[in-house]
Amino acid sequence: MKSIIISLAIAAITFSACNSSTDKATENKSSATDTAQTKPQTDNATATPPPVAETKAIISIKEIVTAYLLLKNAFTKDNSNDAATAGTSLETAFKTFDKTALSADQKKAFEDVEDDSREHAEHIGKNGGNIAHQREHFVMLSKDMADLIKIFGNGGQTLYKDFCPMANDGKGAIWISEVKEIKNPYLGSKMPTCGTMKEEIK
Amino acid sequence: MRRIVKKILLVLLIVFIAIQFIRPARNVSNQVLPTDISKLVRIPDSVQLLLKNACYDCHSNKTQYPWYVNIQPMGWLMANHIKQGKSVLNFSEFGNYSARKQLSKLTGIANSIKDNIMPLSSYKWMHKNARIGKDEKAIIIKWIDQSKDSLSTKN
Repeated sequence: MKSIIISLAIAAITFSACNSSTDKATENKSSATDTAQTKPQTDNATATPPPVAETKAIISIKEIVTAYLLLKNAFTKDNSNDAATAGTSLETAFKTFDKTALSADQKKAFEDVEDDSREHAEHIGKNGGNIAHQREHFVMLSKDMADLIKIFGNGGQTLYKDFCPMANDGKGAIWISEVKEIKNPYLGSKMPTCGTMKEEIK
Repeated sequence: MRRIVKKILLVLLIVFIAIQFIRPARNVSNQVLPTDISKLVRIPDSVQLLLKNACYDCHSNKTQYPWYVNIQPMGWLMANHIKQGKSVLNFSEFGNYSARKQLSKLTGIANSIKDNIMPLSSYKWMHKNARIGKDEKAIIIKWIDQSKDSLSTKN
C-alpha cells in the first residue's frame, strides 16, 4: 500500500516538472494580439473641448460631483470609513454616467478622466482604515475632478477650487469644495483651515 | 477507525495528485513590447535591477518563477497573484495607459513604496531580492519624479 502511494507521488511530481513548456505557446499567442492592439498614445490630457449644453449630461455629472463632495467632507472630518463608502459611490456614479448624450470629443475627454478617477475612487473605497493612503489617491482624484468640471461644468452648483501648499508631503494639492471657507480634506482636524481659494467655478 | 483515517488520507492523496495535472499558463513573454515602460522613459540600470527584482514578477509580462510553482496549489496561487498584479499595473504594457493614467500610476508606485504597501510583505518573505531598503526606495522614487517630469513635458 505504502509503496503504491509513494510511486504515485513520484510519478505526479515527475510529470508536473516536465510539463511547463506547453503553456508557453499559448502565452506567446496572446502577447501577439496584445501588440496588435497597441496604439500610439497621442491623447492630450489637458485638451478641453467646449462645455456641454445637454441637460442630461449636467444632471449626471451632478451625481459625480455630489459623490466627490461627500468624499471630500469625510476627509475633512478624518473619517476613513465614510471616505471608503463615498469612494465606492463615486465609482458607481462614474459607472452609471449616461454617455449617450455626449459628442465623440466629449466622450473621449470624459473617458480619459473616468478611466483614471474610477481607479482612485475604487482604491479609496477598498482602503477604509488607511486614511493616509486614501488621501494620496484623493490628491490625484481631485486633479481629475477639476479637469472634469472644466470640461462639463459644475453640475449646477457654485464650486471652489482650493489649494493647500502643505498637503501631499509638502508638494501641495488642490481640492474642489462647495463652501467658500477653507475646510482642508488633506490635513483634517490637524490643520482644518490650511489653504486658499484659487478659483470660483460658477 | 484506523481504516477510515487511512481511506481519508488516500482520498486526499489522490486529490493532491490529480490537481498536479491542472497547471496555469506561465507569464513568461520574452518579447519587449513597444508599450514597455523602458520605451517611454529612461531607466537607469540601478533602477532596472530593482524593478526586475522587486516588481516585475507580478507587474510585467515576465515572471521569474521559483521552483515551488511546480507544486499545486502553489502554482495556482501565484498565477492568481500575477493576474491581479498585472491588472492593477503592468510595466510591459505601460504605454497602453492614457497620458493621465501614466502619471497617476507613477505617483501610485512612489506612494506604495513609500508607505510600505509594495512590495507585499508575503512576497518579500519569500524573495530576499525584493526586500528594498531606504536607499533603494529613494533611488526608485527619484527615478519616478524624473520620469513624471519627462512624461508631462512629452505630452
